[in-house]
Amino acid sequence: MSNFSIPGSQSTPAIDGDWDHGTLSMQGDSYPENSYELFQQVFSWVERFLLEAGRPLTLELRLLYLNTSSIKAMMDILDLLEEAHHDGKPVAVNWRYDPRNERVAELAEEFKEDCTFPFAIVALDSAASAS
Amino acid sequence: MEPFDLFSMRESYNRQQIMLCFNGPISRSLIEEIGNALRNYLAADHAHPSSAMDVFGVYIELTQNIRHYAQQKGWTETDASATVVVARNDAGHYVVSAGNIIEQADGEALLACIDELAGLDKAALKARYKEQLRKPREAEAASGAGLGLIDIARKSSAPLQGSLRQLTDGRAFVRLRAEI
Repeated sequence: MSNFSIPGSQSTPAIDGDWDHGTLSMQGDSYPENSYELFQQVFSWVERFLLEAGRPLTLELRLLYLNTSSIKAMMDILDLLEEAHHDGKPVAVNWRYDPRNERVAELAEEFKEDCTFPFAIVALDSAASAS
Repeated sequence: MEPFDLFSMRESYNRQQIMLCFNGPISRSLIEEIGNALRNYLAADHAHPSSAMDVFGVYIELTQNIRHYAQQKGWTETDASATVVVARNDAGHYVVSAGNIIEQADGEALLACIDELAGLDKAALKARYKEQLRKPREAEAASGAGLGLIDIARKSSAPLQGSLRQLTDGRAFVRLRAEI
């Protein structure tokens, strides 16, 4: 069907939806003033994928700081995945973080608490994540 | 007009360990640029990455709240003025303060909300946060700065403080202070 890509900026994450591989990746900070506008596009893509693709969907996340409106938008997306999981569709989240910043792992953990599908929170090897 | 006494301003900022301060109309891009400077200062100050992220997060929520409020009221860009100060206190904690013009009644509601949050421990704040997160967007907008305030309270190491100074025309200047 269609791939989907939004380049990242200082306050918005880089977002890539790969329809054929069934992956949606997001990385970077997210604190736009209007998160709803940005995430509405992501929400629609995920919604359509779950409805039409008939394949597993995996979210590959390397998100860092999220403002509260981005958190709310992410929760809406994860709710879609939760619903799909209850319908027997295979969905998963892999959230990778730099172990030097435990806030990111705590943020991921709080999202995970509300999800029953596979949700991995993976510390990146510090040598690989050093920049 | 009196000439500005920049030297005494500098002395006073240094004495109060002010890292960054701003006063005036605050745009979306200005919030980002000042935020960038703040991150650089925190890195230069060797702040722990978690603590730097908390300070940055509190700054973002406070300033975006100010802009959202002015937008909701249909005020002009100039009315979306903010006074923002990031400093360190004697205990070495970072303190983020932000003030703006608000309608007196909204200011009173905001202070009541802060007082209520001050009585909650970390677990209760988390429960309140999750509850607010599940509320529909309209309910969030109507209640003002709900989720943002709880988030700030969770990132703070001391209860949030607020004060209100009455102005004319039913407006007031509200000041919020978060210690991280």
